[in-house]
Parts: sequence; C-alpha cells; structure tokens
Amino acid sequence: MSFVDYSVEPPVVEGKPPLSSIDDAIIKPIDAKPTKAWFVAIAVSGTMLLIGAASLAVTFIFGVGMWGVNQPVGWGFDIVNFVFWVGIGHAGTLISAILFLLRQRWRTGIARFAEAMTIFAVMCAGLFPLIHTGRPWLDGYLMPYPNQHGLWINFTSPLVWDVFAVSTYFTVSAIFWYVGLIPDFATLRDRTVSRIKKIVYSILSLGWRHSNRHWQHYEMAYLILAGFATPLVLSVHTIVSFDFAVSIIPGWHTTIFPPYFVAGAVFSGFAMVQNMLIGIRKIYAIEHIITIDHLEKMNKIMITTGMMVGYAYGMEFFIAWYSGNSAETFVFFNRALGPYAWAYWTMVICNVVFPQLFWFKKIRRSIPAMFVIGVLVNVGMWFERFVIVVTSLSRDYLPSSWGFYVPSIYDIGILIGSFGLFFTLLLLFVKSMPVVSISEVKGVVEGAQPSHGGSH
Amino acid sequence: MSRTEETRYWRSLRDLADHPEVAQLKSNEFLAGVTDESDVADLSPVSRRTFLALLSASAAFAAASCTNYRDKGEVVPYNKQPEEITIGKANYYASTCTGCSANCGILIKTREGRPVKVDGNPDHPVNAGKLCVRGQASVLDLYDPQRLRTPQFKGSGGGFAEGSWEEADRTIMSQLAKTAAEGKEIALVTHTVTSPTFRKVLDAFMARYPSSRTYSYELFSDRFRSNAWIRSYGSNGAPVIRWEAARTLLLLEADVLATEGDVLEQIRSITKNRDMNDPRHFSRIWVAEAGLSLTGMNADHRIRLKPGAQFEFVMGLIHEVAQRRKLSAISPETSVVEAIGQYPLAQVVARHRLPAHLVEGLVNGLVSHRGESIVFAGSTLPEEVHTAVILLNEVLGNTGLYDQRVSRVQYSSEATMEDWVLLVQKMREGKIGAIVHVDANPAYHLPQELRYAEAAQRVPAIVTLTQRENESSVISTIVLPINHAFESWGDFKTRTGQFSLQQPVIEPLYATRQKEAILLHWASGSTTQPDASSYHRYLKKRWEEEVYPSIKSPVAFSRFWHAALHDGLLLHSEKPIARGQFIINADWLQPLWRETDQFTVLVRPSQNVGDGRYAENGWLQEIPHPVSKVVWDNYAAVAPQTAKSLGVENNDIIDIRAGERRLQIPVFVQPGTAEDAVVIEHGYGRRTAGPVGTDVGFDVGSLMPVEIRSTPYIFSAAVTKGSGSYELVSTQEHHALDDAFVKDLHLKRKIIREGSVAQYLNTPDFIQKGRHEPESITKILEYDGVKWAMAIDLNKCIGCTACVASCVAENNIPVVGKEQVELGREMQWIRIDRYYSGTPEDPVVSNQPMLCQHCDHAPCENVCPVAATNHSPDGLNQMAYNRCVGTRYCSNNCPYKVRRFNFLDFRNDFADGIYAEEPMSALYNPEVTVRSRGVMEKCTFCIQRIMEARQVAAEEGREIRGSDVVTACQQACPADAIVFGDMNDPQSKVSHYRAHNLGYHVLEEINVRPNVTYMAKLRNRQTENPA
Amino acid sequence: MQDARLYSLSAIFQTPDEIAHAAEQTVERGYTAFDVHSPYPLHGMPRAMGLKASKLGYVTLVFGLSGAALALFFMWWVNVIEYPLVIGGKPLFQLPAFIPVTFEVTVLMAAIFTVVGMLFVIFRFPNTSHQLHDTPYMKAVSSDKYGLTIQALDPLFDEERVREFLQDLGAVEIHRIQFDAEEIEARPRIFEPRFVTLLILVALLVGPSTYIILNHVLYMPPFDWMMEQQKINPQMKSELFADGFGMRSPVEGTVARGHLPYPFKGQPDLAGKFLVNPILPTESVLELGKKKYDTFCSPCHGNFGDGDSRLRGQFPNPPTLHSDKSRGWSDGMIFHVVTEGQNIMPSYASQIKERDRWAVVHYVRALLRAKHATEADLR
Repeated sequence: MSFVDYSVEPPVVEGKPPLSSIDDAIIKPIDAKPTKAWFVAIAVSGTMLLIGAASLAVTFIFGVGMWGVNQPVGWGFDIVNFVFWVGIGHAGTLISAILFLLRQRWRTGIARFAEAMTIFAVMCAGLFPLIHTGRPWLDGYLMPYPNQHGLWINFTSPLVWDVFAVSTYFTVSAIFWYVGLIPDFATLRDRTVSRIKKIVYSILSLGWRHSNRHWQHYEMAYLILAGFATPLVLSVHTIVSFDFAVSIIPGWHTTIFPPYFVAGAVFSGFAMVQNMLIGIRKIYAIEHIITIDHLEKMNKIMITTGMMVGYAYGMEFFIAWYSGNSAETFVFFNRALGPYAWAYWTMVICNVVFPQLFWFKKIRRSIPAMFVIGVLVNVGMWFERFVIVVTSLSRDYLPSSWGFYVPSIYDIGILIGSFGLFFTLLLLFVKSMPVVSISEVKGVVEGAQPSHGGSH
Repeated sequence: MSRTEETRYWRSLRDLADHPEVAQLKSNEFLAGVTDESDVADLSPVSRRTFLALLSASAAFAAASCTNYRDKGEVVPYNKQPEEITIGKANYYASTCTGCSANCGILIKTREGRPVKVDGNPDHPVNAGKLCVRGQASVLDLYDPQRLRTPQFKGSGGGFAEGSWEEADRTIMSQLAKTAAEGKEIALVTHTVTSPTFRKVLDAFMARYPSSRTYSYELFSDRFRSNAWIRSYGSNGAPVIRWEAARTLLLLEADVLATEGDVLEQIRSITKNRDMNDPRHFSRIWVAEAGLSLTGMNADHRIRLKPGAQFEFVMGLIHEVAQRRKLSAISPETSVVEAIGQYPLAQVVARHRLPAHLVEGLVNGLVSHRGESIVFAGSTLPEEVHTAVILLNEVLGNTGLYDQRVSRVQYSSEATMEDWVLLVQKMREGKIGAIVHVDANPAYHLPQELRYAEAAQRVPAIVTLTQRENESSVISTIVLPINHAFESWGDFKTRTGQFSLQQPVIEPLYATRQKEAILLHWASGSTTQPDASSYHRYLKKRWEEEVYPSIKSPVAFSRFWHAALHDGLLLHSEKPIARGQFIINADWLQPLWRETDQFTVLVRPSQNVGDGRYAENGWLQEIPHPVSKVVWDNYAAVAPQTAKSLGVENNDIIDIRAGERRLQIPVFVQPGTAEDAVVIEHGYGRRTAGPVGTDVGFDVGSLMPVEIRSTPYIFSAAVTKGSGSYELVSTQEHHALDDAFVKDLHLKRKIIREGSVAQYLNTPDFIQKGRHEPESITKILEYDGVKWAMAIDLNKCIGCTACVASCVAENNIPVVGKEQVELGREMQWIRIDRYYSGTPEDPVVSNQPMLCQHCDHAPCENVCPVAATNHSPDGLNQMAYNRCVGTRYCSNNCPYKVRRFNFLDFRNDFADGIYAEEPMSALYNPEVTVRSRGVMEKCTFCIQRIMEARQVAAEEGREIRGSDVVTACQQACPADAIVFGDMNDPQSKVSHYRAHNLGYHVLEEINVRPNVTYMAKLRNRQTENPA
Repeated sequence: MQDARLYSLSAIFQTPDEIAHAAEQTVERGYTAFDVHSPYPLHGMPRAMGLKASKLGYVTLVFGLSGAALALFFMWWVNVIEYPLVIGGKPLFQLPAFIPVTFEVTVLMAAIFTVVGMLFVIFRFPNTSHQLHDTPYMKAVSSDKYGLTIQALDPLFDEERVREFLQDLGAVEIHRIQFDAEEIEARPRIFEPRFVTLLILVALLVGPSTYIILNHVLYMPPFDWMMEQQKINPQMKSELFADGFGMRSPVEGTVARGHLPYPFKGQPDLAGKFLVNPILPTESVLELGKKKYDTFCSPCHGNFGDGDSRLRGQFPNPPTLHSDKSRGWSDGMIFHVVTEGQNIMPSYASQIKERDRWAVVHYVRALLRAKHATEADLR
C-alpha cells in the first residue's frame, strides 16, 4: 500500500466480514492442533526458561554473591530487569485503558494481546524484587504485618511502595483482562463440542449470558476500570522511578525521573507489542483485524515517546551542569566518558537515533524495518536502565569506594530466563485464549450497531 | 420440543418442589442463604457428627503441623564455677605478646575461660595499652583449624604419621644423646631469645648436650645498627630513642611507624608532637626512602632516594653541617674529616638529582634544631650508613635523645650469614647430627641460594617445634606441635628494669606442649613424661630463686609473684648499660657496597604478615596494605616512570635476575617510588603454610643473596618485562594521578580538608570559612540524654590499620578471600581511605579512616523496606540483623559506602570452609551476632560495649556516661586519633572536637548530618612554615 | 403442571435494527420479565429496553474512598501509635511518604470491589446452570444472532400471545426454554462419600507435609534464620573441647585482672590476724549482707544464726553462731570461713562476691549483737 489517505479514519476491521467468520478467524487457532512452528517456539522459550530456573536455583542456594553485584554496586541485572519488564508492561495498559478512554477505536484489535503482555511482563518484573534479596525466604517481611517483636514495615521506603504499586498493578490489570475475557469465554463455551473445554470455559465464563441487562453494567465497569488503570499505570512507573529519585546518589537523585521513566516505559512497551503483533497477525492470518494502520499508529507513538526520552537525556546533562553540583556533574560526564561509556552510547543510539527513521512513512509502514527498530529500541531501553542503575552506583561520592560491576553468567542466565518465562506464557496464551477480543471486534464491524443506536 | 432434544450437561444440586414459587425462586438464581430450603431434619445426624469429627480432626492436624518441636540444644553449666568467673562477664589476663621480639604487654579478654580478644596492656611502658595489627590478630592463630594436634613422624614414604609424645621424646632424646656422644653438632635454631628463663632452658639443654649450638636470628633484625653502635660506643645494641623530644626527624629508609623497632612506642611518642591543640610544637618529619612506606606517607617532606645513595646522602649532610658549624661536639682525626670531605652535599644532590631546596631546608632544620633533632636509619641499610648516622647525630649533638635511663637487653647473639654458610657447609659434610627448629622456620627465611633444605637431607635427625606445618617441618623427621602463646607460660625482658610475664588463658586445646617445656624435658633427660605445668613450676622457681631476691620486695614471694602475674609485668630500678665513649674511624666510613647502574632491589618487611609467620592468618592477609591497599599479595613496587621505561603496567610480570637468583613477580606501579628501584616485601610466597597462606604472594627468598659483608636486603639486579600477568587485588580502585577527570576529587569534594600549621596559626578557623549549616525541611530531632559521636584526628591518624584488626576481632567479621575482595566484597567495617594528590613522582598522601557515620538523617534508614535499620534513642544508626532481608538498598543509598553485605556465606565459601570449622566458634565474640549470608552489616559503634557499660551503670545505680564506653577501634589506635563519647556532654572530649576549629564532616552539603567529625590535617612543610 | 416447567419463550433475530425495534415493542407491550441477548453490547439498547443507568459508579466511589482512608489511617497508626521508630531523623507521621501507598490501596480496593460487586452481587454469578445455557438460542446469540427472551413468570405471560407477538416482530426462530426434568428428581446430599473421603485425604496429606516443611525443610541449608550461630554462648555445649563444656575454667596458677588469689589459703589464724573489713557497716551494706545471708547462709545457719537449719537436718546442723567461740572471732576469721569453708561447710567464694562476703560479715556481727544486746545498744 503505497498511498494512504489520512484524512479519513480507516476502518478498524478491513472489509465487512460476517460476525461468525470473526469467531472462526479468532477461535480457529485455539481449537486447531498446535502447529510445528508453535512447538518449535515453545521448545526454545522453554529452554530459556529452564536456563533461568537453573541460574535461579544456584542463586537461591549460594546467595546473590553468585551475581556480579558488589560494594558499591549493590544492584545489577536484577533491578535493571525489574524496571525493564515493568516498562514493557505499561504499553498494554496504555493501549487497553488510555486509548479506550481516548476513544481510539483502532485499539480493539490489539488491546487483548497487549493486556496479556502486560500481565506476563509484570509477572517477570515482579519476580526480580523477590529473588534479588539476600534471604529470599524472608521476602514475606515486605508484607505489611508485624514480626514477632511487633516491628512493622517501613512505609517511607520506595521498595515498599513498589510492593504496593506492582501488586496493585498486577491485580488490576488481571481483573481488567479477565473482565474483558468473560464474554469471549461464553462464546467459546457455546461453540465448543469437547466436554472438557466446555466445563473449563463454563467455569471461566461464570455463566455469562450475553444479556443486555448485564452488558449495561459491564460497559460501565469497563469504563471505570479503564479510568483507574490510566492513573495507575502512570503511578506505577513513577513509583519505580522513585526507587532512584528518592535516594541521594548523584545520577539517581533526579526530579525528572517520573515522566522520563513513564515515557521510556511506553516507548519500550510499544516496541515490544509491535514486535509481537507482527508475528501474531502473520501466523494467525488476521492481517485484516490487526492492520498495518494499527502498527503505523504504534510507530508514531514510539517516535513521540522516543523523543521525550531523548529530551530527558539532554535535560539531565543540562541540569547536571546548571546545578553546579560537582558530584552531579561528574556522574553525567562519567556516564558519557567513563568506564561505562559504551553502554551509554548504545542507549543513546538505539533510543534516540534509530526511532528518527519513523519520520519516513515508508519505514513506518514497512514490516521488516519497524521490526528491527522495535528490537533496537528494546535493547536501548534495557541499557538505559543499566546506565542509570550501574554507572551511578559504581562511582558515587567517595572516590575511595568506587567500584566496577561485571555481570556473572548467572545474571545473564536469569535475564534469559525472564524472556523465556515471558514468551512461554505468551505462547500458552495464544494457544488457549482468544488473542483478539471477539465481542469488541464484533462491536466495531461496520453495521454491527443499530442504525439509530447512535454511535460514538 | 421435548427435553430430549435439549441435551443438558448442567445439574442443579438444589431441591426443587413442584410449585411456581420455587420456579420463580429458581429464575432469580441464588438468594442469600442457599440452605434456607434444606430441612435439617432430613440430614442424617451421623453425617453431621462425622463432619464435626472431621473438622476437629483436621484442626488437630493443622495445630500439630504448625508446632515446632526442634531441639534447641542443651544447657551445660559449670560443675564448679571458678571464683573469678561471672557468667556473661569478661575476664582480662595480663600477658605478653610473642609475635615479634618487641614483646609488648597484652591484655587478653576471656569469656567463660575462652580468649576472644587481645589488646595492649595499659601498664606496659613500651606499648602502653596499644597493640599492632599482628598482635590483634594473634588470637585467630590460637583457634586456627590448621594447628597441629599431635606429634608427627616422617614415614619412609615421606609422608607424616601421627604418634605419641612418649615415642617422640624417646626417639629424639636417644638421637640427641647419640649425636652428643659422637661429638657431632646439634643445631638449635631459634628466633631472637628475649626470655631469660628460656635462655636458662637453652643453657641447660646445651649443658646436657655439649655439642649443641644455638643459631638465633630474625628475618629482619637490627644487627647492622647494633653492630655500628657496638663499634662506636662499645655498649651493646642501639639505644632507646626519646622520639617525643625530637623537633626535626630525619628517617632514612626507616619505617618507624610500621615495621621498624618498637613501633607502638614510636607511633605514640612521634604523634605526640602532631597535636593540633599545640600547633607551635609540631615536629617536622623528613623521610628519605626508596619505596613509599607508611612513615613516608606521614612525612611532611619526603625525598625519593635509592638505598644505594643513602650513605652518600648522610655523608653529604655531615659535610654540610660540619661546614655550617665546626665539629666542636666531637674531634675526629683528620682521616675522618677527609672521608667526610669526599662528599660535598651539593655534589651528592646533583649526582642523585635530589630537590636542592628541600635538602637545603632539611639542613637548616637539623642545624636549627640541633640537640632536639634525630637522624635514624632503617635496619635494612648497611653498617656504614648507621655509622655515618651515629656520627651525624654526634655532630648535631643529638645524643641527648638517647634514653639514658634504660637500655636494651638480649639473651642471644644474632647468627650472622657466615654462621649460616658454615652450618649448611657442615650439614652437607654430615657433621651435623641433629637440628632442632625451635618455633623457627629457616627453610623459608634463609636465602634459597643457601640451599638449606637440600643440605638438610644429609642430617639424620631434624626436629621442628611448630604450631602449624611449614617449610621447615616438611623437611623434618619429627614435628612436634607446640602451644600457642595464649596457652603458654613465660617471662621476657627486652629492656633494663622491665620484666614482662606471660600466662596462659586456656588449657592447651590439643595435645601440645610449649617449646620451653619440651626442651626442658630433653635437657632433664628424665624418662617420665612431664606434666602440663612443668614449665610453670620451672619459671616460678627461677623467679623465686633469682628474680625475687634481686628485687628485694617487702611482700612474700607468692604475693609478689601473683602481683607480677596480675600486672603482667614487673618494673624495678635497674642500672642501664652505660654508653661508652664515642669513637669513629675513617675505615668505617667506607661504603662496602656501591650500587651499579642496574636496578636496585630493596627487600622490606611486611607490616601484616611479619616475617611470614602470619601468612596463615586470614585476618592479616585481608587487611589492606597501609599504602597500596593491596590484599593477599606482595608485589614489586616501581615508580611510574620506571614502569613506563620497562613498558609494564600494574599486574604485568617482571623478571628480576641477580646472577643465578631470579624472581618473577607482578608489578605494582606505586607513586612515590624512587626511579630504577624495585621494592618488594618479604614474608609472602610461603610454600607450606596451610590452605590460607600457601602460595599467597611471591617468595623474595629466591632473590635474596647470601651476603656476608653487607646487607642482604639491598642488591642490584637486572629487571626485564616478563611474560604474562597476575591479578593484584586492592580494596581501593586506582586512578591515574594525572587523569584530570578524577584528579584531586577528594579535595574538590571537601572529603579531605588540610592546611598548614602556619595557615592554622594565622587563621585558626580557615576550615570553618565557607562551611554553612544546610537547611532542613523537617524539624531536626532533639536527643536528650547520651548521644554517641566520634571524632577522628587526621593529624594523629597514620593509617596503620590497627583499628581495622581490632574491629575485625571484636565484631566477628568474616574473611572473604582474594577472589571476593577482587569482586569488591571485603567485609571490614572500618577502612582507611588513602588519597593521592600532587604528582605521581611525589604524591601527597592523605589518610582517612572511614566507618559508619551514624548520620542523624541516615539515608539508609529511609529506604529499608523492613525497617531493619533505624535510629536508636541515643543517636545510633542501628541494624536489626535478623530483620534484614538483604535488598542492599541501604548500601546503595549510603553516600559513604560503609555498609557491608554478606553476599555469600563467606565462612563456608572461603578456602573450603576452613573458617566454618569447629575451633573458630570459640573465637567469635558471644556478644556479637554472627551474621548469616544475605544480611547487611556495618559499624555499630560497638553497641555491645555500650550495652555492657549501660549494665554496669545500672548496677551502680547511675546514668551511663560517655566516658564509660571505649570502642574497639579507639582502644586499638596507637596514636589515640579516635575519640568517642557523648556529644550532649559539653565537658566530653568529643564535643570539644566537634566544636573545634579544625573539625569538619565529610559530605556536609548533602545534609545527612553525620556523627563522625574529622579534624583537618595540618602539614608542617618548611615551604609554607619556615622555621 | 406443564406450564410450571416452562421458563421462557426466546426468539432469535437477524439484525441489530430488528432487535432494537423488538425491544422497544416489548416494553410497549408492558412485559417486564424479558431480556435481550446479543454477542456484543448494542448501543442504545439500554434505552430501548427502558433500563435505568448503572449505579456501579457509586460502589467504586465508596470503596475507593474507604480504601484511601483505611491506608492512611493504618500507616498513621503503625508509625505513630503501634511502633514509633525514628527513621532517617524524620517526623513519625510523614504524609508525603505515605501518599504513594494510599493511592495504590485506593485503586486496588475500588477496582476489586467494582468488579466483585458487578459479577457476584448484581449478576449473581457464578451461575452455570441457568435455563438458557446450552440451548440453541444461547449458541446463536453468543455468535452472531440477537435474541429476545420473555420469561414465563411475567404477569402478562401467555404462551400463545407471546409466540404471536414474537413472530410479528420478525423472529426467525422461537424456542421454548424449560426447566429440566433431572433437577426435580435430584435429592439433597450434603455429605457425599466422595466429599468426605476427599476431606480425610486432604487432612492426611496436609498435616504431615506441613509438619515436615515447617520443622525440617525450612531448617536445611540454604535456609538460615540465624538461630544457631557459629559462636559459643554461655552454658553452651562445644564439640571443640573433649569434655563438651563450652565454658572453661582458668588455668591453674593464673591471675585475672582484679582477681588476686586469696592470700590466706588454709591459714585461718593469719587471716584472722591480718584481714580487716574494708567496708563500713552502712545501712545499704547491712541490707546487702542480709540479702546474701538469707540466700546462702540461712538454709543451714538459720535466719538468725541459731543453727536451726531450715533444711531440718538433711545435713548435720551447724553449731549456732552465737557460741562464745564464734563470737570471739575477728571479722577476718569469719570472712575466711565464708571464703574457704570449714569442716563440712563448703567454700562460698564463687557464689558470693568478695565485697558481698564482707557485707555478710557485717550482717552476722549485727545478728550477734542483736542477740546479746547490751544496755548501751538498747539506748
């Protein structure tokens, strides 16, 4: 498609497929036997997961000393991955909630999948705070209950905020996602002929009857959830950024972090969603439901957020210089010129330079190009967290206590493992649940609504 | 349509009667309370009872499951509680340290009869309550799992088999008798004998075996100095110097603050004149040395001088001083004057490219302070230098600084290199019937060129008395395990009028005997086994018969004896050996050795491992080198310029050759090293030391020459870049001094604040200028009652790391090993930060002990999610170890990076868990938690000591006072640089220091309000402070 | 009877417009117990069906606000009332630091209760046994058709007329939905044997496994609760020493600081001669002496030193302290006896500190004097 007319909103679902055909298109892959490609994929991701599990076991038995962390760099891959995955998660909520509120109808095709990604990403993220502790079997201490001496948790600690933020975020996203799934489960229930599936779907659908008396409340609930998810998603990454912003370490102690982190999160999240969708729509042959326009729109969001991030990078340096605080200034020069300069420049090139290509429509709409850029963006965003966490710690106030951080194989193993977990869950998801919201898509097919029923 | 066509999967469990209400009921789906319908009567009562039964059963199950039946161990009280022991209270025993021939007085802390810590004996005149790193760490050796526990016999296969003492004594005594009968020599190899009673034992032994001969030695002895003295004054040995009287000190290759002589006494009396409260009497310390030493770090002026140039330098000074003022103090013959005349200072300065203005200032200082200055040469320097130094001091009329009231005593004469050569010769010829290594390790200490071990194969009987297997024990036929000093009796005398006593604080842990007892038994020739207290009786008897009468004490002997044991020493008036008339001879002023144009290698003693006998001590291996901060290794220190010319960098192996002798050792580029000089510390590279010490570092013995005429510690060698590299690990990252990026950050960030004495005299508050109290958005908390604070006087602190050792011992700090230190995981709670400024050639060094600052606004507390670290009512930043989950957030957020994390179970991780073995459990302080892996820890201001003081105060029914508590580091500090106490008490020293003009806090601007105050260092440079 | 089994008549329509129209008609006819089913929400349908706006928002509001209040109150209570701790020198109640948690709890409660309220209270879910389930009608409406159901319990319900009405609206199919027969035969069985055995199995499984986990698994490495530490506390066993005693006795002949050995071992007369009581018999000293005497001495010597043992002759009774012999003793002598013991009396050196022993001596003196008070004393 060389020419696209942006003056008219393109149809969300291309053509005017009969509603039942939408069922077929979306549900076929669930009923059908898994393809060879799927088995290969699950084998790969499963292996990655096992690598992670092994590294994790070693860490659990011998201690976090198996990692590269040290004095002064007390946090390494663990927290880098945590922030990275939380960021990935944010795109899902953004698409399903914020775009919903903004009445972006094109979101319907990708919302369900994005939400699933959110949940799996948050699972991966939530793992790291739990395993990064020195005595993981005491993680329960982070819950708000008193120990045998009546000592409670410290509500002023950003880590406690994290606990609340991430668990809330996970719960709300899960609810949101499930509520969206209920009608689809009902549809599945009424389609399937296998007894087992019938039982399962019936339980999952809670006995949904497509009653319009229910639909009314249902839509209201969906709206409310979306309304809550929006500030929530912003708050979560704000709080994650507080882990650093609230501290006093130069390079961490920065007021720009909250917006900067949120932008970064959306940035990387969209890159990830875009990558995944490119695969899904091809495999499922649902290009008419997840259209090239959707992808293009996502690329536009990526270039926007990418520039926000770039602005933040610049601003950090400006403030460092403007503050006149020598320690502050030093840290940022150290980032660009110090021992970790390579990481810094990887970050800048991947996050700021490459997304600029999206100015060109051709590239915006070219599947391979956008895929590559998406991957680069994720690499860049991972390194952004690495730069923030590691370089700031490795050289802080006292030159006498400067150090250097080198990841161990277990660090890398666990990183791989987290991707393994993510992809495995994703693959299981696409095999067992509708990757596109059936009821929503039906709702936006042309002529699906009563002519006098007013439209949005 | 009929029901049949509507197949139904789903059944309702609910009762359904045939009337419409039910239908309606059903259509409205569930109502509240499903069972409203079900009639209780319908249900069979049995089933209900079963249900209840099940309920209670499962409840019981659950209850049982959740209870904890684990065995909490058993209580083992005393059968008969000793009178002096109160359970939970420490006892202190005065004794004597045998770590080196200084024999400092120590106070051993025991808990329930187990030694757990050792400090200096406050009553002892030499160390006055202080103790060096090695002394502090000696308690670890007591519980070292590597100690030999039974006698060992070499089997035919070369391996050792355990045996009994009877067997050992029988075989050895028969062999000795046989050897004596044959008239073959029995060589007794010992370290310098400082114990009169042990001397007596040796004499008794030699009386019984006439053909025996003692070879006593120290790897680093001051024989050149004392020889020079004996020559010049006829008296025995070098004098005790009244350092505190010296206004100008010139130290030539003499590390008097770390390894040279009675270190603790020297530190005390030298730092006495670095008192910020008395700036007008600041001494000026000059150091001329090749390698940057601890003393060099603390000098006001440091002249880089190759060891070979020392002689000319001193002669030049004599020449110059003589020029200034006639040699009125003495009147040497013309030959001497001529000898001096060969060395005009200007020429010397020119030849060795010395900084002329500095030397000029030095001469001025020496002359203007004549009579109250001192020149002192290190024991590694050859005799002629010492002679010249004696002459220079005479010329300057500094003899008044030689202490007249006391003189040194020795109970053995040093074996010279000739003696050793002869011994080895005789060994080869089979003229040696037996060798007894009395707690000495010649196979390691003697130059390998001598081939001692090889020659030993020709000796039929070699007996080694040792605590741990070592290089000498492996070549022995029989190895006998001996007591640790804390299990032994003894007396020592290093100076006239001072007896120092040694008493055991615990029964021998294993089947060991003390070396004196063993020799005594052999000397007695009796066939019955001696009992444990044989030497105790012998010692007591000698005192009763020889010492007691000479003292003429009014009290009965038992009282006298017990008092002496109680004090750990006996001071009495004794006439010192008088210094004879000074004589000087031109021949003595001829250099016996001149350096070639090759590199000069200087071998120096190591502060931490001593002569290698502490190589097996994990604490000492892990305490950073005071200058380079390198751990677990020695290295070849070279100047940056030299490194460039050699084309090597840190960790590159260099190849040092001197004739046949050769050593490959990694380079450490040490700023301040003299060019074309290589400085290496001895005591490393032990081949047989145990799992901790074996092959740690490199053995300089392979390079040391068999030097008979002059010093073996200094020699010329060819140095080339070797192949490969070797990872040296230090606790402090190194930054190139000339890298503008990081240069002088410690000054820019006001971490280190310094000034000159003159500056301080002119504007006493020069530090306070520009200091301002940061605003706080919250109300600042008030602490009523005691609030703990510390102050560290950087004028006094020399960076000797004694505080580190003391802290390690007090607070159960684990050893992590080289690999972990390399990863940056050392655990010591207090560290000495060392900063360089100035040029790489002539660095200006600043030391700063860094420990938890116990900030009022502690950033670590805010971020701990579980409140494991929080603030105590008396102002401590406290850690609840068992609450800590180990997120390491606190450490990340600590601006001083003084928190330490147990990344692994280090006790198990290090050296195959040797320090997790049973004996170590007795070492650890019962009052301090032994932290598990995954727990954050840090300095607690010795909370256990504070609590103990509180308890005492409560018993005495009073409030605790700041002065009640002495922290471990404070107690150990030989310079008394550390002050601790109650900052709310306006009278306390610490509050004076906090208010002092030189007081400042590190990183004040981030408003964490630290409670450790640092007193800015004043330098007394002649450039800034003329006169 | 037959009618009672009827649940509803349900009609299938083809297009959204038809169903919208049908809904409006149904309302006009005055049917109330009816419902419209469609695979996705139809816009305008609530209006067409004459439904009031959803009240769900109020649920959200209430629970959201209560969440906020709860969180804030809870943190205040914990930090200010329950366990006040100085953290980083900040005030106990740090509002700014509490805002994030407050916000999160608000969102959490609001979200959860909105959905719970809708699904389980308003919809009365889960209900998998509704009559409409598994009917061709439901299959149709959950895919691509639109359905209108009029329940039998509607007061205006009359099967024939409803059927006509629906046909007029243009229904393509009309289904009779009925209650199923099996439900009527179903008997109530609260304790099905299967359920009971399940309970037992669970109990048998859970009990032991919990026990093993709590008491064994959790104490195997790497789990470390710092309960057993590598150090010897007082009165602990130690493998290091052959006799297993963690607490050792000092070596014979050594002298600890502040513990010079007793000089008059076995020399009572010397002790009597040279030892003098170093402390004065102040009130507090006598109190101390009484305390120690009552604790250590009175069991044998009796409360007043009359030798009337409280142990009632389980040991040979000691002589009275009031004998002329013992009254003649000097302080030093008494001290010596307490310290060294005599005859069958053991040494009390390790039980009673030296100073306390002297206090006891004072107290004994007081006892003696009380017993043999002179005129002077009485005055």
